[in-house]
Amino acid sequence: MQYLEMLPFLLILLPLCICFVMPMFARWKSEVCPYLALGATVLALIMSVMLTVQVAGGELLSYAAGGWLPPWGIEIFIDELAAMMLLLLCGTCLFVLLFSYRSLPKEIPPPAAGWYYTLFVLTLAAMMGMTVTNDLFNLYVMVEIVAIGSCGLVVAKGERLSTEASLRYLMLSTLGSGFLLFAIAFLYQVTGNLNYPYVATELLRVGEDYPFLMWATMSFFTVGLGVKAALFPMHIWLPDAHSSAPSPSSAVLSGLVVKVYIVAQLRIYFEVFGFDVFHETYMRYLILFLAALAMLGGSLFAFVQLDLKRRLAYSTVAQIGYIFLGFGLGTVWGIKIALLHIIIHAFMKICLFLSAGAVYYQTGRKKVTHFSGLGYQMPVTMAAFTIASLSMVGIPLFGGFITKYGLALGSLEADNPYFVVLIVLSGLLNAAYYFPIIWQAYFTSGAEMKFFMDKVPVTMLIPIAIMALGVIYMGIFPGSILEFLERYVLRYLL
Amino acid sequence: MELSRLLVNYPYFISMILFCLGCLAILTQHNLIKKVIGINIMETGIFLFFIAVGNIQGGVAPIYDPALPEGVLYINPLPSVLVLTGIVVSFSVTAFALAIIVKLYYFYGTIYAPEIIRLR
Repeated sequence: MQYLEMLPFLLILLPLCICFVMPMFARWKSEVCPYLALGATVLALIMSVMLTVQVAGGELLSYAAGGWLPPWGIEIFIDELAAMMLLLLCGTCLFVLLFSYRSLPKEIPPPAAGWYYTLFVLTLAAMMGMTVTNDLFNLYVMVEIVAIGSCGLVVAKGERLSTEASLRYLMLSTLGSGFLLFAIAFLYQVTGNLNYPYVATELLRVGEDYPFLMWATMSFFTVGLGVKAALFPMHIWLPDAHSSAPSPSSAVLSGLVVKVYIVAQLRIYFEVFGFDVFHETYMRYLILFLAALAMLGGSLFAFVQLDLKRRLAYSTVAQIGYIFLGFGLGTVWGIKIALLHIIIHAFMKICLFLSAGAVYYQTGRKKVTHFSGLGYQMPVTMAAFTIASLSMVGIPLFGGFITKYGLALGSLEADNPYFVVLIVLSGLLNAAYYFPIIWQAYFTSGAEMKFFMDKVPVTMLIPIAIMALGVIYMGIFPGSILEFLERYVLRYLL
Repeated sequence: MELSRLLVNYPYFISMILFCLGCLAILTQHNLIKKVIGINIMETGIFLFFIAVGNIQGGVAPIYDPALPEGVLYINPLPSVLVLTGIVVSFSVTAFALAIIVKLYYFYGTIYAPEIIRLR
């Protein structure tokens, strides 16, 4: 049973190995690449299900790479948060791959398709690595792989706008990586360790002697990962990059890539520094402030956009604000809801971006003002779009309601009633920019009340439908996931 | 006493200055190639910081040699290894950024950022 112990390591290694051979196929037999990528994702999904079953049984998995035990070697550590993120990453990436199989030939030049799948699997593997690693420097390496991979996913379209957007994305995310690496250097200087638990114990001992350094390190981490996670004033690269990318990559970038940076940030705040430092360095108030700005600013910017994908991209900025608001509240409940929102927002945003891709596939329309009558021409796609939008606005029975309600309760619990007003205001703004699209699609006068089936391949409809069902499932049965996450939160926050 | 501590730890200051210069170059330079140079300056500053953390005055390279006298100090090898990895990462980012800039030059015929925004 030696192989079963190596599972956390194989989970990252096998997709990386497949990426390594894929360029060869991309060069000579590029029709094989989608199947290879699908195979790698299915393999990763099976392994992460096995790991999650073990973690759900109450066992935390740790693997020391190469047999070098933690203070020296790289440790891979899987707890409830990592298990949940692994399931989310592999599961959603599987459906996005299924979608991209038919939609990609319309969006990117055919010779690039093989490379696109290579970058996709590379990004997926590095994202999984980021969530499971327990080593600061390994985190940095994985962050850089995700940065390069996701820039590649944007630039694959080969157009003017996407090239320019990906350069801006690359510049700013390299700036962020620089801050991250400097923060890691500070921590290494003070503690002499790179492994999370060891750094944490050492910081408890010596942290009080270096108050200024702690503050500097904390803010370097916040800026470094905040740029990548598109926290509000640092979001300027996001709308261009996410809206000019091919639709499957926008779905992955908006739904998953920004989230893994948030998870990494959460781990560093609570596992490495501990909640007290988070509180004492005033980082908590900064994050609350920026989250409030993001919730309002992102929604306002989204409101004035006319391009559908740009509107969705700005909406991501606002939703990132919700997640950070949950962290900033700093209560068990708040963090739990923020983690739940990571999952729900991934489902919603992937559903919305894939529907936008399907609309573009069938009709070539991109503007939000050109949606009239689409509800009858593409009933399945628009139904999924409607479900995800209602969830974004926060209508009961859908996933978004749970987190909005939860965050409102959490801010009342933490004696911050102003945030309830902000949440309601942001929800109203969401309604103001999603409902006109739906209204147009179903109720414009002159449209014939006659349903046609979508003229979109069924491999593109299935992912959209499953994401929409996921949103509804989360809205009705969030309990088991919340319980699973609570075990993680309680371990670090007591 | 404070000043002497500052003087002894001068590599940290130089690394911080390099880091700030690099950031400034990335954010304010209009020429895209200069932005890439800024990335490299920034990363060099960080690598200098790592090396300075690992170094010991009068230490030797961490290779065991029986000819060396007893009690000689070896420098910490781990930061050097981290820097090696960091150099590879920064090299690949630089290569990727330059490739994108070449592509932008094909599209717009210029690598001057305001001009590109104007042409868009």
